[in-house]
Amino acid sequence: MTDSSERPLEVEETNRGTRTDEGWLSEYARDHVVHGLVIVAFLVYPVVYDLLGRSPLASEAAAFLPGLTFMIAVLYLGLFAMSFDFVSGYTGYLSFGHAAFYGTGAYAVVLATNGKIPGVPADTPFVLTMLLGAVLAGVLALAMGAVSFRLTGVYFAMITLGFAQVLYELVRNWGYVSPNPSEGATVDGGALEVGVPYVDSLGLAVGRLTGDSFENVLGTGFDVSATMTSYYALALVVVVCYFSMQRIIHSPFGKAMIAVRENEERAEAVGYDVFRIKMGAFAASAFFAGIAGALFAGYSRSVSPESTYFFLVTADALIVTIVGGIGTLAGPLYGTVFHEWLGDVLSTEDDGIATYLRETVPEGLLTTDVGGVTFADVINSVVDGRAPLYLGIVFVLFVLFVPNGLLGTVRDRLGGTVAERTGDVLERYRR
Amino acid sequence: MTSAEPLLATSGLTREFGGITAVDGVDFTLADGELCSVIGPNGAGKTTFFNLLTGVLEPTRGTVEFSPSDRDGAVDVTDASPHETALLGLHRSYQITNVFPTVSVLENVRIAVQAHRGNDTWRFWRNVHAFDDHFVEAERILERIGLAESADRPAETLSHGEKRSLEIGIALAGDPDLLLLDEPTAGVSSEDVAQVTALIEDVAADHAIMLIEHNMDVVMGISDRVVVLDRGELIADGDPETVRESEAVQRAYLGGYEDDGAADAGAGVTAG
Repeated sequence: MTDSSERPLEVEETNRGTRTDEGWLSEYARDHVVHGLVIVAFLVYPVVYDLLGRSPLASEAAAFLPGLTFMIAVLYLGLFAMSFDFVSGYTGYLSFGHAAFYGTGAYAVVLATNGKIPGVPADTPFVLTMLLGAVLAGVLALAMGAVSFRLTGVYFAMITLGFAQVLYELVRNWGYVSPNPSEGATVDGGALEVGVPYVDSLGLAVGRLTGDSFENVLGTGFDVSATMTSYYALALVVVVCYFSMQRIIHSPFGKAMIAVRENEERAEAVGYDVFRIKMGAFAASAFFAGIAGALFAGYSRSVSPESTYFFLVTADALIVTIVGGIGTLAGPLYGTVFHEWLGDVLSTEDDGIATYLRETVPEGLLTTDVGGVTFADVINSVVDGRAPLYLGIVFVLFVLFVPNGLLGTVRDRLGGTVAERTGDVLERYRR
Repeated sequence: MTSAEPLLATSGLTREFGGITAVDGVDFTLADGELCSVIGPNGAGKTTFFNLLTGVLEPTRGTVEFSPSDRDGAVDVTDASPHETALLGLHRSYQITNVFPTVSVLENVRIAVQAHRGNDTWRFWRNVHAFDDHFVEAERILERIGLAESADRPAETLSHGEKRSLEIGIALAGDPDLLLLDEPTAGVSSEDVAQVTALIEDVAADHAIMLIEHNMDVVMGISDRVVVLDRGELIADGDPETVRESEAVQRAYLGGYEDDGAADAGAGVTAG
């Protein structure tokens, strides 16, 4: 009995005791070791990939690592998936119409830049049109939520999906967007810049063709392509959004969201206005989905109903969220890395595994006939462009055997969030 | 009007489900600091009565008035929603364990403390650890309900008896003026009943409590007052001794037992 009465003090100490002892800055750094490592990994990846491309391992690197354009897709699709998980994983309400918010952000940027939004001049900086798109997405979420949050479970998922499909059809047939709305719309003007609005020197133009490029950076002989500039500019926005969402998750509001997920009846009984909590979470989530859509539009400079409002856009976010770990904010990003990596290495274009095998496997083996099937046939049918097939298989396996996803499973093993536990592990080694 | 007005007062409180009247014209008052047990056969409308008080259900007829300690006079909570009654100081525990399963025991209580601190919930730019008082209060409650050493465990890993204590802890976290406990000893092994009972008595020292309970030893042992519901009607109201001796109550319980075995008509005759 005496033994057990001493323990709570220990518990308290490990929980919060360190917070007052250290300076907040070093404590912050300690809590964010893993975030720092991930950010560094994303920062150096393009450089490493570029260097590998010039090394003797060039063809292997091209075949087995995702190219830079795929990593850019990781950024905006990853942010979209994180925003999907923000509401779906933390409040438990599956937002199957999330593509509507992504599309709203994307179309807002294109329309604003083309001078088609009344009151918004065509030369409004991209950062501001991006915020406009995000706010519009948030407002749309409030309107959708006001109706949808009368329902729960699968009915909530279905009604949000219905709303998104209605918007998809509207946008597909809305002649104001472009002369051929079902094909989408493109940005007419010049390059779009991520940076401080109205300060030209603090902006980076994005886009595969229109982005800024720098030759012989700092005399190192290293060139930064327009694609690489876009990658870093988008990454900056995604990092800011990630930390904003993480901030909310770790705030009292985020804890209330989790309470709604865990037990909505009880959350209401202890005094939460659960409707307002859900609306707030939905709007915030839509805001970040809108940013993701805006980044996509700013980089690709063209949007179509299929690539934005279509329900399969949400489905991709759902798949990577399950693979990465639902209810873990960063998990969907890793899921997206996996998705895009698979899409790149199994692509039919000339830097995939299929091409690599055709070039490196000896001709004799390629044409060896076993029962009427050659190795080349096997490559064509099970490797070349088969990413969706394997993604589907991986998805099924994850749902069956790894229901918590990549990050969720790691967390279970460590007994806490990776950021928290890594700090403790490092602390242990330091002593 | 010598003494202060009652903490809780219902008048003509009625709830009908289709043709069935679950709660039928209940006039009931509760004084501050009272421990009042609500008993009655299964299906008597006890839990429905609680649901009407907390706003989970809306009454078909009648009113509910509640006088929170931090306000002057009574507030009409007849049409209030559950979170509104909770914020006024009316908290409850559930017959079937109803906690936040995957988060820690501490967080289960802390989240309820936070709800009571009003606008803190909307400070989405602050880390939850910036609100030290939430943790201090939650730890104090865990100490009181005897779960301090399980603070970091996920709630779903607690034993059934511990979950029953946590049920009460979550309800306590909102600093209630009136605590509604719905069968706190349901499913608790006979050895642990004493522990739960002790906790209720401890809590009763500084809270008004309404207790739904089937264990008559518990009811007769700790109640200041007992009311009996039968078929939605309040048929007896008094101190435990009087109620135990009451003929109407014994009839109701016998009628209840006959309901299980014999035909409904026979039971109707007995009770009527």
